[in-house]
Amino acid sequence: MQREDAVFRALADPSRRAIFERLTRGEAPVKDLTASFDISQPAVSQHLAALRSAGLVAERREGRLVYYRVAPNGLRPLVDWIAHYQAFWIERIGRLQALLKEMDE
Amino acid sequence: MNAKAEAQSISIEYDLPHAPAKVWRALTDPKLLATWLMDNDMRPLVGQSFTFKQQPTPWWDGIVRCKVLESDPHKRLRYSWQSGPASSPLDTMVTWTLTPTPSGGTRLTLEHSGFVPTNAAAFEGARQGWRRMVGKLIEVLARGEPMP
Repeated sequence: MQREDAVFRALADPSRRAIFERLTRGEAPVKDLTASFDISQPAVSQHLAALRSAGLVAERREGRLVYYRVAPNGLRPLVDWIAHYQAFWIERIGRLQALLKEMDE
Repeated sequence: MNAKAEAQSISIEYDLPHAPAKVWRALTDPKLLATWLMDNDMRPLVGQSFTFKQQPTPWWDGIVRCKVLESDPHKRLRYSWQSGPASSPLDTMVTWTLTPTPSGGTRLTLEHSGFVPTNAAAFEGARQGWRRMVGKLIEVLARGEPMP
């Protein structure tokens, strides 16, 4: 569930989604991403760091360049409705139980 | 991934120390229901349409469309649960069953049924381009190769 939250949070930002989508088409160094998105390099780096901590992208160093690519299992938490709803209902029924304790008979 | 278009379901069972009448209220009173599930305009009458709403997310507009299909007070409540984009909707059903226990409590069973494998796509399809991207990723994952 936490993994899933991190993925949702990371992809909630339109620029990060665009960068992620670009990376599904192939590995790229930061400067290429900066050029194709018209945002500053520090901003791109920050987005990449967020995507990386959510497990969505991986990096590879070659000389002075760092190449980014999509992490193979990054989206696994999202591809299954059933797993999603299983976690959803368990969490919500936990809240239901808390409510029942507070309610009058 | 299973290629068969076989519907799958989730089933969760709880033993609660509260009477069925009280549990029923928590499941059907819109104000109580909102505190643990989502904002809603539920009326537990067969044929009644209602919605659950929460904050939209990048993958979901936050709206679940429902219709009461069965309502047997203190015993059983069933409603359709439809969500996702029009192009690939999630069309499922939620059934709550309340059974009194000898100790005066309730055995509460939730069944969320009707998931079909194509719904996996709906999950990703909530935004333009999203599904295409994930479809491609799934292909790559299925091949087990490193990403290009």
